[in-house]
Amino acid sequence: MEPWRLRPARDHGMSLEQRMASTRREPGLIEAIGQRIAGSALSCLLRVWHRLQIEGREHLPATPPFILVANHTSHLDALALTTALPWRVRQSTYLLAASDVFFETPTRSLLASVLLNALPMRRQRQVRHAIEDLRTRLVEDAFGLVMFPEGTRSATGAMQAFKPGLGMLVAGTAVPVVPCHLEGAFAAWPRQARLPRPRPVVLRIGAPLRFDNASDDRDGWATVVRTAEAAVLGLTARSRS
Amino acid sequence: MNEATLQRLFGWQHAFDHPAVLWLVGGVFLVLVLATGLVAGLSASGRIGASTRLELHQRIKSWWILAPLMIGPVLLGAASTFAAVLLLSLGCYREFARATGLFREHLISALVVLGILATTFAVVDHWYELFMAALPLGVVTIAGIAVITDAPKGYVQRTALGVFAFAFFGNGIGHLGYFANDVDYRPIVLFVLIAVELNDVFAYVCGRLFGRRKLLPHISPNKTWAGAIGAVVLTSAFVALVGPHVLAGRPCAEGSRLLLLGLLIAIAGQLGDLVLSAIKRDVGIKDFAATIPGHGGLLDRFDSLVLVAPAVFHLIGYEHGIGLSSVPRLLTGG
Repeated sequence: MEPWRLRPARDHGMSLEQRMASTRREPGLIEAIGQRIAGSALSCLLRVWHRLQIEGREHLPATPPFILVANHTSHLDALALTTALPWRVRQSTYLLAASDVFFETPTRSLLASVLLNALPMRRQRQVRHAIEDLRTRLVEDAFGLVMFPEGTRSATGAMQAFKPGLGMLVAGTAVPVVPCHLEGAFAAWPRQARLPRPRPVVLRIGAPLRFDNASDDRDGWATVVRTAEAAVLGLTARSRS
Repeated sequence: MNEATLQRLFGWQHAFDHPAVLWLVGGVFLVLVLATGLVAGLSASGRIGASTRLELHQRIKSWWILAPLMIGPVLLGAASTFAAVLLLSLGCYREFARATGLFREHLISALVVLGILATTFAVVDHWYELFMAALPLGVVTIAGIAVITDAPKGYVQRTALGVFAFAFFGNGIGHLGYFANDVDYRPIVLFVLIAVELNDVFAYVCGRLFGRRKLLPHISPNKTWAGAIGAVVLTSAFVALVGPHVLAGRPCAEGSRLLLLGLLIAIAGQLGDLVLSAIKRDVGIKDFAATIPGHGGLLDRFDSLVLVAPAVFHLIGYEHGIGLSSVPRLLTGG
């Protein structure tokens, strides 16, 4: 475990509203309690209502930093991925969520931050700056991150191409990327449905990928994205064979 | 629960029973009106720069909100005073934890919060022994339970910060709440709050007017010897002049003892300010938070109170006793 350091919160001096809209937000005791309660309830729901099965848990890193990436078809995806993590790791894991959905209103922002430990990510404007900020934090603060490189939920259930953001985050760093694949989540809670249906969900976790040697430029990002995409697709193939 | 206790806890209609309360509240109002006029006058005359004007405007505006928030709960009753002090303790702890990084240690944070709640319970219950025992027991609990995470690296820092935070913001500020167990708590609490805040104002004004030699330049570059000495003289004078009316009938309401009380408030107040400034410099931040415009965080505003509350409590308690005529152990029934 890293030694204790005397350093203020990254979001020091921000108002509540600014904190919620910032990727610098750091959770405290209130958020930890909220996440513990929400996490237990949601993981219970996933196990009972969706009979969640998790395969390949041994591939999960024991300590942060790391990034979990997966195909994205449903709101259940992020919940299934965080459920797979032991509590010690989960409490220092953020969820990268679209700011135009999860941070649209103050109430939603508060719920997303307190209950899910979500960080807002804009889909269009100022993405570059936010990602660079997050990259620095990921290396310095050593936390876990759950993200969906497709950028949005698939409308058909088929995996879409990964966006370069993942590459910009990890190329040239020692942060491992853990490919994951979710099966059944689309049938359980597709985009069009208001509420989840009781369908089984299977989460497969693959071996971590490392990109220490990838260059932090367009070529490097493309390599990262291609490799991660292939690894997630590889888990699909494995499940079908 | 007898009638006297109910009235002490919730009897807002007794707010101005003690004549000194009306004078103190009226005095605060008058000072705020005068200060607002003065700032407006200075701004209109163009004798102060734009940045100073903005700062003074913000400060005065915040005072118009802060003063009722500080005085209101005290006037309403002991119950609201306890609640306000609890919120102040938790708010100050939160700012301290986020400034030092202690907030990342959820276990220690939870223990400090539990300690603050336990202290408040002892205060509300009027259980003096538990209130006094809370600090040593808190130290033992924080130090003991902190080992269960099996993380020796940083153990001393984590635990020390937790103990420090509990001592200052749970126990120290908690003393302010304990005053409300006295039947005549209103004038004393208001008097202490006003004297502490005036002490800050005196130091600021004397420093601006006469300040040349720096007091402790590495900790607080804006503080001067003139400010510190001016505040000691003026605060002592304020306590000596107003004290006899507030503490009338108590043994500490006479000359030399009031002088001691004034000195204690002035010196402990400025030390509290410096202690919190030292922490800010150590951590490398300017303000603890941005809660109060023009002032910074709660801890930037109430820093002086942290040391004054226990010091004054024990001086008055030693001379006179606090809450001796109130029913002890309200909830636990001892």
